Amino acid sequence: MATETARPKRGRHRSPSGPAWVPYLYLLPHAVLFLVFIVYPIGFGLWVSLHRWNILSDVQRFVGLDFYLRLVTPGSPQFTFFWKTMGNTALFTVLSVPALIFSALGLALLLEKPIAGRSVFRAIFFLPTILAVSVMGLLWRWMFENRTGLVNILLDLVPFTQQFPFLTNVGWAWIPIVVGTIWWTVGFNMILYGAALAAIPRVYYEAAAIDGAGAWARFRHITWPQLNPVTLFALVTTTIGSFQLFGQSHVITAGGPLRTTQSVMMYITEEAFTNFQFSSAAAMSVLFGLLLLLVTGVQFRLTLRDLGRGVR
Amino acid sequence: MISVVRSLIALVAAVLVTSAAAQIELDYWHGFTGPDLPLMEALIAEFNAANPDVVVRGEPIPWGNIWQQLEPSVAAGRAPDVVAVNEDVVTGFILRGALAEMTPEALAAAGIDAGRFYEPLWETGMVDGAAYAVPVHSVMLVMYYNKDLFEAAGLDPESPPSTREEYLAAARALTRDTAGRAPGESGFDANNLASWAAGIPSPWMGGTIAYAVAAQNGVTFVEGADADFEPNFDSPEAVEAIEFLVSLVREHGVSPANATEGSEIDAFRQGQAAMNFNGVWMLGQYADQAGLNFGVAPFPQLGTERYATWGGSSHLAMPRQRNADPAKQEAAMRFIGWMTQAEQNLFWTAAGGLPTQSAVADAEGYASNPMTAVAEALDGTFVLTGFPFLAQFRGAWDAAFEAALLGDKSVERALSDGASEARSSIQDGLLSLP
Repeated sequence: MATETARPKRGRHRSPSGPAWVPYLYLLPHAVLFLVFIVYPIGFGLWVSLHRWNILSDVQRFVGLDFYLRLVTPGSPQFTFFWKTMGNTALFTVLSVPALIFSALGLALLLEKPIAGRSVFRAIFFLPTILAVSVMGLLWRWMFENRTGLVNILLDLVPFTQQFPFLTNVGWAWIPIVVGTIWWTVGFNMILYGAALAAIPRVYYEAAAIDGAGAWARFRHITWPQLNPVTLFALVTTTIGSFQLFGQSHVITAGGPLRTTQSVMMYITEEAFTNFQFSSAAAMSVLFGLLLLLVTGVQFRLTLRDLGRGVR
Repeated sequence: MISVVRSLIALVAAVLVTSAAAQIELDYWHGFTGPDLPLMEALIAEFNAANPDVVVRGEPIPWGNIWQQLEPSVAAGRAPDVVAVNEDVVTGFILRGALAEMTPEALAAAGIDAGRFYEPLWETGMVDGAAYAVPVHSVMLVMYYNKDLFEAAGLDPESPPSTREEYLAAARALTRDTAGRAPGESGFDANNLASWAAGIPSPWMGGTIAYAVAAQNGVTFVEGADADFEPNFDSPEAVEAIEFLVSLVREHGVSPANATEGSEIDAFRQGQAAMNFNGVWMLGQYADQAGLNFGVAPFPQLGTERYATWGGSSHLAMPRQRNADPAKQEAAMRFIGWMTQAEQNLFWTAAGGLPTQSAVADAEGYASNPMTAVAEALDGTFVLTGFPFLAQFRGAWDAAFEAALLGDKSVERALSDGASEARSSIQDGLLSLP
């Protein structure tokens, strides 16, 4: 091999394993799937959103940006509900993402200590992740059901507390959704943090201990910066996941009361498959996708800057 | 060895060819995926046995998936030969061109007589005087009531309330707060009920109940095509209906605040709620509840003008085919005709569905069905159907009722906001018809 590289070649990218197009061959399977299942649907969705699209119609009338303009012009139900559900989704993200990051980190830190039954606890915290959303949703709906749910029965039994109708109360209806979501998905981030914690070289802590750093200082100046790449990954994936809220609201509150827990994905689905307004739903999907891209971009910039500082 | 394989292949091919020539294969999509699935499969098997030239392949698919897949399958030329569709989507499918018309000749040849069915049910499958779908299954909103609680309150367990006055009288007799006080007594605490009449939940089941009471007040909800499908449910009659339901919670104190459909089902099973308004499909669950001695009665007339209750239905239809095969269409019509006959409908009602035709309701074999008590209400079943973009109306209606019930808006305001939302959505939907 050494002699090969020493000899000058005409093809700059000529690799020892064959002709230049070979690497592309290896990329092809993923590229085909990516084109067919990601690029084509996005393009088709864009096309649908610019027409009054009806699958059984012979003519699909071009309407330009009509469906987009409606989403930025107050007055129509689509404007009202798209932005209302967008706000709901953002609220859910703000409520759930910090909780999902910090509770996962907390669990991972606790389970890093050499306690008895550590792997059992890890399994217990991770296990809900494998449940289907419908199962998880029914479970938490049953827990928080007005009057007859387990939580309300307990509130009835405990002195100085009384029953509370979570499911029909604006604002409070988020409690079962957020609590259920944390219980359901915290295990994934916990495993990420667990693996990252195990990878931090012990010598850092030993050196810090010699310098007299306390537990908080060790966490603040070693653990937290070392976990930065994982935190970035967890932050981005959890945010995207939270923005795609669908099943939990769908099963636990059905978007109620008064559409206050309806997520934007639920509304887009309603517009497409209940109202049969595919073009309108496609326009909403495109706009929502762009907004999500923007949020992710901002997150990346902020955290990458942080990351750079940490490494330096 | 090779010759053996070859002759085997020839034999298989010959069998395939002859069976293909002799048998017409029909794909049939339906959403009867619950406890009713075995009955549907038994009916399909019986039809196949009686019609050696036809093989119907039933495919149980959740309703929502059928609604999503039907139009793409028609567009791709891969639609099933027969499909079951429900009352709330059938008109939209017809107007968007997903279903094939059934000509009077085809109906006659298949032995389908429109006059046999309850009229509103039959009308559900029609657009502009043409038939597209035949009723096969029917459900309605009914009242379940706890006979033991009725007796304990001094009410006759064999004559449940059927009018607004009777309902209010029974409701007051059945309601007690946690200190044992009745509504109207001094100190009665409506926020802490130990037992009550029936909860009024939100949103879908509440919207269904509100729909029935408003229909009893004469509300038609949405005008016909000649009036551009104008929503008219912000009328004084509709306001009166909703105000009455809200007053059951706020004034009369006979319904708990913050009821949900689930909490009311639990409360009825546990003997806290003496009555429960829900669909006929709840029968099995209540029948399985140990110690629950209950009866089924028509949804009472809480409105002022006429008798009405919410009804829903499923219909058999033929999706439009790109290259329609007359032999297949004839076989599909024969299957639809057979499935919707009185005999098959009688067998089907064992799964909880209601008769689609009076012949079944009057049949001797139906007398033992627990739902006979509500059969008299069948003529007043007010099916929400007949115009496209029904979902747009129903979504706005449910939201309006929820806003009024939870006290978010006044009843007038909730209904006028709901009507303007429905107006905008329906007009938008009409624009997207082909």
